[in-house]
Amino acid sequence: MRISLNTRRRLLPWLFLGPGLLWLLIFFLYPLLNQASVSLMSGDPEHGYTLTWAFHTYWDAISTYKAQFGRSILYAAIATALCLIIAFPLAYFTAYKAGRFKGLILLLIILPFFMSYVLRTVAWQLILADNGWVVARLRDVGVLGANGRLLATSTAVIAGITYNFLPFMALPLYVSLEKIDRRYIEAATDLYASRATAFRKITVPLALPGVFAGSLLTFTPACGDFVNAALLGTSRQFMIGNVIQSKFLNILDYPTAAALSFTLMIFILIGIFVYARLLGTRNLTEAAF
Amino acid sequence: MAVAEATSVGAPAAPDGPRPAGRGRVRVWLLGVWSALALLYLFIPVFIVVLFSFNDNKGRFNFTWQGFTFKHWQHPFADPDLAKALTTSLEIALIATAIATALGTFMAMALVRYRFRGRAAVDFFVFMPLSSPEVVLGAALLALFLTLNINTGFVTIVIAHVMFCISYVVVTVKARLEGMDRHIEEAAMDLGATEWVTFRKVTLPMIAPGVAAAAMLAGALSIDDYVITSFNAGQTQTFPLYIFGATRQGVPPEVNVLATLLLLAVLALMGVNLLVQRALARRDRARTGVAAS
Amino acid sequence: MADLTRRRFIGRAGSLALAGSLLSGCGIEGTIAAARKDRPKTLNVHHPKVPIGNWTFSNWPLYIDKSVLRSFDRIYGGHVNYIEEINDNDDFYGKVRQQLQDNRPIGRDIVVLTDYMAARWVRDNYVTPFDKSNMPNFVENLVSNLRSIPYDPKRNFTAPWQSGAVGLGYDPKLTGRELHSVDDLFDPRFKGRVTMLSEPYDSACTVLLGMGIDPTHATIDQILQAIDKIAKANDAGQFRRFTGNDYTTDLTKGNVWVALAYSGDLVQLQSDNPNLRFSYPQEGAMLFTDNMLIPEHAAHVYAAETMINYVYEPEVAAKIALYVNYLSPVDGVRAIVERSDPKLANNPLVFPSDAIRKRLYPYPALSDADEATMKQAMANLTGA
Repeated sequence: MRISLNTRRRLLPWLFLGPGLLWLLIFFLYPLLNQASVSLMSGDPEHGYTLTWAFHTYWDAISTYKAQFGRSILYAAIATALCLIIAFPLAYFTAYKAGRFKGLILLLIILPFFMSYVLRTVAWQLILADNGWVVARLRDVGVLGANGRLLATSTAVIAGITYNFLPFMALPLYVSLEKIDRRYIEAATDLYASRATAFRKITVPLALPGVFAGSLLTFTPACGDFVNAALLGTSRQFMIGNVIQSKFLNILDYPTAAALSFTLMIFILIGIFVYARLLGTRNLTEAAF
Repeated sequence: MAVAEATSVGAPAAPDGPRPAGRGRVRVWLLGVWSALALLYLFIPVFIVVLFSFNDNKGRFNFTWQGFTFKHWQHPFADPDLAKALTTSLEIALIATAIATALGTFMAMALVRYRFRGRAAVDFFVFMPLSSPEVVLGAALLALFLTLNINTGFVTIVIAHVMFCISYVVVTVKARLEGMDRHIEEAAMDLGATEWVTFRKVTLPMIAPGVAAAAMLAGALSIDDYVITSFNAGQTQTFPLYIFGATRQGVPPEVNVLATLLLLAVLALMGVNLLVQRALARRDRARTGVAAS
Repeated sequence: MADLTRRRFIGRAGSLALAGSLLSGCGIEGTIAAARKDRPKTLNVHHPKVPIGNWTFSNWPLYIDKSVLRSFDRIYGGHVNYIEEINDNDDFYGKVRQQLQDNRPIGRDIVVLTDYMAARWVRDNYVTPFDKSNMPNFVENLVSNLRSIPYDPKRNFTAPWQSGAVGLGYDPKLTGRELHSVDDLFDPRFKGRVTMLSEPYDSACTVLLGMGIDPTHATIDQILQAIDKIAKANDAGQFRRFTGNDYTTDLTKGNVWVALAYSGDLVQLQSDNPNLRFSYPQEGAMLFTDNMLIPEHAAHVYAAETMINYVYEPEVAAKIALYVNYLSPVDGVRAIVERSDPKLANNPLVFPSDAIRKRLYPYPALSDADEATMKQAMANLTGA
């Protein structure tokens, strides 16, 4: 059966998209819409909840928890920046200088995350204990005050988030760096550009899709994180994820929890949009050629 | 590893320039040190966990070093429920990773390669699962399963894991696809290869690093997921669920042992993969007589 | 072109949302409606003897000596499917809530829930009443201070599994003295070196004891007063943080000097850090109990009741006590444990004296609304 080239060309993307899209439509979109309607319900656990189009829930939720919202975005942004700083040289090294060991290093980057985060976080708690070796040395050196501590501070929470999301930044960065044709850099240096200039003008722009992807995969889930704040922070560090967790499981206030989730989602989407514009990747899917 | 093969087929990997001299060498050395430190940083807690699997703890908690012992390593699978939880997690991770990577890779290809109406919408939509807090997503998914009268258990966990992994795969593979040189594929097709053959022999190897990285991310996400799994697991126990619950009574060192074994298993799996890839590459080189760069 | 697509997407998404919400506009049923529906009879409950079959027992991890399960299978036949799936009361409730509210079986024959969650299930009629003729051991051997509890005065729905006390866990080397009072948690000399439990049933009720109020029969206003007191102290920096049971690392490593803690944890922690002590406050201590319940529409009620009866045999209870090291609800266990482990038998954290037992107070029974108010007040102060 000959399908015209034109039809094939129009159908092909949808064929590729089809299975994945269908999966997401069923198992993500429906739950999403369900939660959207829950966010507009009102009531209480005793009398039940009914759909009342209570848009004020959103407003109430945002104004009550604006501190946690702000904190989440701040912590996530700082953690993402730190991840970028730590991961870029690592990804660069792996892509260009690691030779035969590329695969091994990639594996080593992600390997720790096959070990339960509970175990790893408890390990950090043991390492960073107030009277432990690390904190004692930091006190000696003067980085921490005499009674200073690392745990139960915003530093610990941000460090925890950074740690937990590092591979999500490193792997996309690597993926993007590795495909850059080395000959462009060679050409640039042949044309008397210093290595620094070549890096700035060739490597970095071509690596931007990776930076963008890595930032996406780091910032977005980090905003909704609650584990690090719960285990490594105090109530003064609690993020919006903690609030949502509490509202949903503890207080059983489903409309507020749903409203908070949607607000978070919208914040993030707007943020990403702005970021995409700033980075100059005009459209998230723009192919360079 | 697929990576090794990819670099011989994909972006022409010219040698890393002339041997860097003077400042260049320092730069490389510095990069190396930074990378080593970064990796060390990633592994510090892992070392602690492995170390404490040898802790001779008297109570049920495992916080203070009380002496070295092999006793926890002697019968790590003694508790059948714990062992079952681990194998269940592994099975789920393998299946979910395979499905998510396949679905996500194809989606990424569609989103980058083709212009079609609704592309931006699909793009945003694929990204949205990343931004939704797990607790809400997990509970809503459970509501769906209940409405459809699907019994929660192994299958629903796999479904849930695939759902949140697809986004990660799409974003990672897209980073590889964007800006990739189409000319080689066009050349292949000009030389008479069908789209399917081009895909198999040219495109796939070129995007292989992205796909491999995405698969690893998905695997790590799946094997350690707690929140969404806890809602949709029914009576199935997974490793993270068990560990979380065990923290109330004190996580026994046998868990440390199993976690270490898991890591070693993944390492071994990847090692086997690497060797297989190398052997295949060698076979291809021998067959075509083309020297790899 | 891209903008056009985006605008259209928003339009289309809007109509989709409308459709979706209309679909799920049925709302979520409230517990009052569910509770009013079928209040289970508690008199003349009869569960005839049937073959045990394959039945399901859901519990917390590491909460039983598994040889007990094997011997149960051997003696009574059938096979128990023991699942350690309960990690957290709220998480578990979140998992099965919908089925319970829809009046559907949840596929488990025994679940083990802490008092406040057990109270909720009883209140909302998610439970099957006991046929006590199948559980003579339970009737006879339940310890006296647990024979009645506000939310289940005749113990028709709940059978205690293990109990624990909420008291003061501390390191006397760091505090400089022994601690005996709830007020010690508020001692300004320990500022920043104290952790408090985030569960208000534990923390607020303990503070009520310190204020001289009986927590088991407290009103919501009194509880809110206690929470207020905690909030003021927190603002002054008294508490390092609010914890679940993750205060254990902090206490062991000396990050904090005092923690509002669970007795069972201290039994274990003392081997990690021998300096640690546990003290039942002189004003009294909260007693929390994890209870066995038979969910509504359970398929194997007789099997469940037989198991409950079995674990109330002193010998079996002793085996469990030796493994779990919490407060056993079964009479006569101490004498048996003394034979094999005299040290444990004399440990007041596991076998408190009668004088201490008199000072142990169970959780209050609150209505859904009051409980929500209390939890919200606590959440406000813990930053969530």
